[in-house]
Amino acid sequence: MSASCYIPENLTEALEIRKKVHAIPLAGGTDLMVQAKRGIGINPVFPAPIMIITNLEELKGIRVEEDGTLVIGALTTSAEIASDERVFYHIRKAASLMGAVSLRNSATIGGNIANASPKGDLPQPLILLDAEVVLSSIDGERSMKVDDFITGAKKTALKDDEIIKEIRVRPVKATHLFYHKIGTRRANAISKLSLSILADVEDGIVKDFRASSGAAGNKVKRDRNVEMILIGKHIEELPSLVEEFTSAWDGILSPHAMPKYRRESTRRMLSYFLERIAAGAEPGIIE
Amino acid sequence: MAATRIDDKIRRSDALSKARGEAKYVSDYFFDGMLYAMMLRSTEARADIVGITHPVLPEGYYFITADDIPENGVNSLHMIGKDWRCFASGDVKYVGETIGLFVGPSRAVLKSLVENTKVEYAVKEAAVSIDDAIAVKGGAILPEKDNDVMCQLYCQKGREMDDVFKDADMTLSETFETGFQEHVHLETNGAIVTEEGDSYVFYISAQCPFYVRKSVAGLLGLPLDKVIVRQTVTGGAFGGKEHFPDVLAGPLLVAESKIHKPIKLIFDREEDMEFSVKRHPSKVIYKSAIKDGKLIGTKGTIYYNCGAYLSASYVVLQRGVFHANGVYDIPNTYLEGYGMATNTFPSDAFRGFGAPQTLFAIEMHMSHIARRLGIDPADFKKSMFIKKGGETVTNGHVVEEVMLNDMFDNIAKESDYYRKSREYGYGSGRGIGVSFYNHGGAFTGNGEQAIIKAHARLKKSGEKVTIEVGSTEMGQGFQTSLRKIAATVLEIPIEDVDYPNPDTSIVPDSGPTAASRSTMVVGKLIERCAIEMKERWNEGDFSVEKEYEHPEGFPWDQETFRGDAYLGYGWGAAIVELEIDRRTNEVLVKGVWTSHEIGKAIDELIVHGQINGGVIQSLGYASMEKMENKNGHFKQTSMSDYVIPTSMDFPKQYYHIQENPYQFGPFGAKGMGELVFNGVDAAYVDALERAIGKEVYKIPLPPEDIEEALENA
Amino acid sequence: MLDNKISFTLNGKKVEFIGDPLRRLIDTLREDFGLTGVKEGCGEGECGACSVIKDGKLVTSCIIPMGSVAGSDIWTIEGIRDTELGAIIIEAFADGGAVQCGFCIPGMVLASYVLLSEKTNPSELEIREAISGNICRCTGYDLIVESIRLADSRRRGV
Repeated sequence: MSASCYIPENLTEALEIRKKVHAIPLAGGTDLMVQAKRGIGINPVFPAPIMIITNLEELKGIRVEEDGTLVIGALTTSAEIASDERVFYHIRKAASLMGAVSLRNSATIGGNIANASPKGDLPQPLILLDAEVVLSSIDGERSMKVDDFITGAKKTALKDDEIIKEIRVRPVKATHLFYHKIGTRRANAISKLSLSILADVEDGIVKDFRASSGAAGNKVKRDRNVEMILIGKHIEELPSLVEEFTSAWDGILSPHAMPKYRRESTRRMLSYFLERIAAGAEPGIIE
Repeated sequence: MAATRIDDKIRRSDALSKARGEAKYVSDYFFDGMLYAMMLRSTEARADIVGITHPVLPEGYYFITADDIPENGVNSLHMIGKDWRCFASGDVKYVGETIGLFVGPSRAVLKSLVENTKVEYAVKEAAVSIDDAIAVKGGAILPEKDNDVMCQLYCQKGREMDDVFKDADMTLSETFETGFQEHVHLETNGAIVTEEGDSYVFYISAQCPFYVRKSVAGLLGLPLDKVIVRQTVTGGAFGGKEHFPDVLAGPLLVAESKIHKPIKLIFDREEDMEFSVKRHPSKVIYKSAIKDGKLIGTKGTIYYNCGAYLSASYVVLQRGVFHANGVYDIPNTYLEGYGMATNTFPSDAFRGFGAPQTLFAIEMHMSHIARRLGIDPADFKKSMFIKKGGETVTNGHVVEEVMLNDMFDNIAKESDYYRKSREYGYGSGRGIGVSFYNHGGAFTGNGEQAIIKAHARLKKSGEKVTIEVGSTEMGQGFQTSLRKIAATVLEIPIEDVDYPNPDTSIVPDSGPTAASRSTMVVGKLIERCAIEMKERWNEGDFSVEKEYEHPEGFPWDQETFRGDAYLGYGWGAAIVELEIDRRTNEVLVKGVWTSHEIGKAIDELIVHGQINGGVIQSLGYASMEKMENKNGHFKQTSMSDYVIPTSMDFPKQYYHIQENPYQFGPFGAKGMGELVFNGVDAAYVDALERAIGKEVYKIPLPPEDIEEALENA
Repeated sequence: MLDNKISFTLNGKKVEFIGDPLRRLIDTLREDFGLTGVKEGCGEGECGACSVIKDGKLVTSCIIPMGSVAGSDIWTIEGIRDTELGAIIIEAFADGGAVQCGFCIPGMVLASYVLLSEKTNPSELEIREAISGNICRCTGYDLIVESIRLADSRRRGV
């Protein structure tokens, strides 16, 4: 028999249930319902109490605060994110390439983060952008970087009385953007590998440089120390740094399957991006 | 309403009910007091069963095993052989082998009974791959044998090979491998058993209702007519529902004999992926002798991974061997085929039925020879085309005009093949590839005459006519094509011709719906029935039944595999253009052009749909459809990890249908269902090789395997 | 555990479900309401055969628990097939050769319905994107795409 199931009417009620019985929040169900499936005509069974929060309006929607911070409610779907021009390129792109139409209509950003699958589509660009996750409990709120929140494959820092409330992304200055997902096929695909890159180039100087690799280890891989190899350098120096940078990046990846392919294609994409910048590519999206 | 003519554009008879969601598939049937069933299966590839302990059965629940087969029954599913056991007993030979069947009212309870049943095994070393089987890993699988060769045959044409190789100025030896392929018919396997009077009745998603009947009756020692099989609307099959429904029906029948209530067994997708038949993986070794730019001889050694039971493997292997020279007249050939027993789920029929594996290998081999000769692969292949009267590998002859040159001209022009072939060269990141293929229509050799003896019947009542045949609609459009044939001959509107799903207690046995034989053979029978009915139209209500008649003058010896293996082939030519992302190895297919010669299209729209579907399955087979088996377990178990093409993966196809009316088919038609799968994979891989500038020897080729190919080359 | 009462709208009628809120929507539709036009192909939201329209959006009913359906407006093929646009799509599918084994088709019709409700004269790429979550093993998709174009032309009267 399934453990108990709750359908809270509002956030406060949800937080109370969460505090009292530690019920697992079920948002879009696209991960949890698959994990708990038992077959045709059989109700899914969960190891713990469940609370269905799909319809909690307080956790839905996207807004931009005065300082430009983008706030995405935890129950905002991938379809909504993908179609909102205010959302930063990498996140929007990743959301638009997640599964297919129907999945994007159900899957939520909060669920995608909480599931913490190394192949998850949204944590990768969120970590690139130093996004923060706001966690609510009946006793208050706290926030932390998504990168710190996801501690490993299927592991997070979520406490058993907390719910993901929203995701906050402060504006990030960037001139050159790159996003690529290699899926199992051209649509409706699970990620074999994904890579986001951004660079902020001003007067030929790389002011900021970031990259993040999805499906390349137990969690999204990003390393500020490696990024520092390029920061502050003139774009003319980039060609001579490609080898050092890509090797250092390779060092942070730990793919358990198809390691050679994942490493080499990441290296080639990074090199390509740097070559384009070195060649004076116009600001914008590097295709 | 006007009389239907063969070239009329008509609607499929099943389109509206399916699109409206009204068509009833087996899972849509619910009977009063119906129970459900769930299988207990082996989790070991090879082991002795030491003991089975299941939880105490709640009231109304049953556990059915081999012990429930009565004394006058045998624990065997009678397919082509009788080796496939209904229930494993004493030992298991592959992961997923049926051990028992839990039956009861609640699926949740059944699921927990299965999960809480402990089967204790004495595990033995398993042989899983072809190489394992060649090495007889873990000892012979087959009883009373000292190797794992389940079936074998050879064919020779022309001179002794040693002799031929002495003449060669160049030789090329290559090994090609193809993987498992899963059918992924969107409707999973399912069946319901019940009783009517003193008969057992099945409602089942199946290609061959008469196969099911023959396969299971012996379990209870029943005469065949005490088992009635009613085919339900079948949501795709592709060979996966040719013999495999027997594996559901057998245990259900034994259960029914104890329980006497309707019992429903529907596989969920995971079960259907992990525990169903697959396409035979292959390893094909060609060694060729080339002299003065011509291929003068080829020796082929062909291995197919058959799994633990025979099912259709010997026939699949024969087809593989008989198609191993492709569409080419190679003057000297020696081919040997080995069907290897392994501890994997038995491999079985899948669109193409053994031909795609060898056709892939010969096409790649021919391209590789051409490259070494510095000739465009298309030109080299064209120079070797077999012609009408040309000798086949079984020392038979091609009966029809071979129109491959015209067909290739059509698609070469449409695709601008020669310009692109020159411009893209080898290793530019862009490639255009070509392949040629064929498929022998209907059963091999004298199978139609000696084994099947198909019957078909037309029944007239008033101004309406009913088609009574055992052939099934599974999506391929046969219910429409056959009605069109009958209506045209009878000069009546197609709406006045009915063709219900077969019920074995009503219709005659028309043979299996397989082997691209339905239009060619059963269509011909119905044409003959209709011709007679037309003459006697004013006699009131009556029936006309006909039996298959083999044309004279086409000898076949089933002992030596010599003679005319097929009385007609479908022919195909394909071109694929693609480019590869050098950073990620992702392949973007830019164009697909095919031409198929199928005698005559009974219904062009249906043929168009068959071409599109077969081609995309073949492209999936070559590119993304990867099914691995580790220690006897399939690694891909869902539709998210075994991926098949979506609407976004391949572009709109150009298709051309080459008319070449066939003397023995209705309105000149031949078979086509399998042909359209048989060769586009090779055109894709040819194009890919040219794009990356490296030769590859195995499919499928997802990006990570392309990385490996680049690395190893 | 206590059964919950969940109210929602199904094919335009207000209905109630009493039972486990974790029961899958597909099972409720097929087995409680007899709407067997909703097909189960994969059970994990991958294939689209079980597509339904929930609050105007295409979703896969095999991964939606009943608890998420409270207050929703659900349409299945049985409700869509006799609407003006639904009937146009179905007729176009029949005329255009879109249907083979048919198992994916009710879901495909719903995906087309949502697309054509939102867009007029969609491009081939837009059509292919809109049905990319609906897996078909038979047709290779070309004739489905063509049939959706045909439906679009017909409803625009061109």
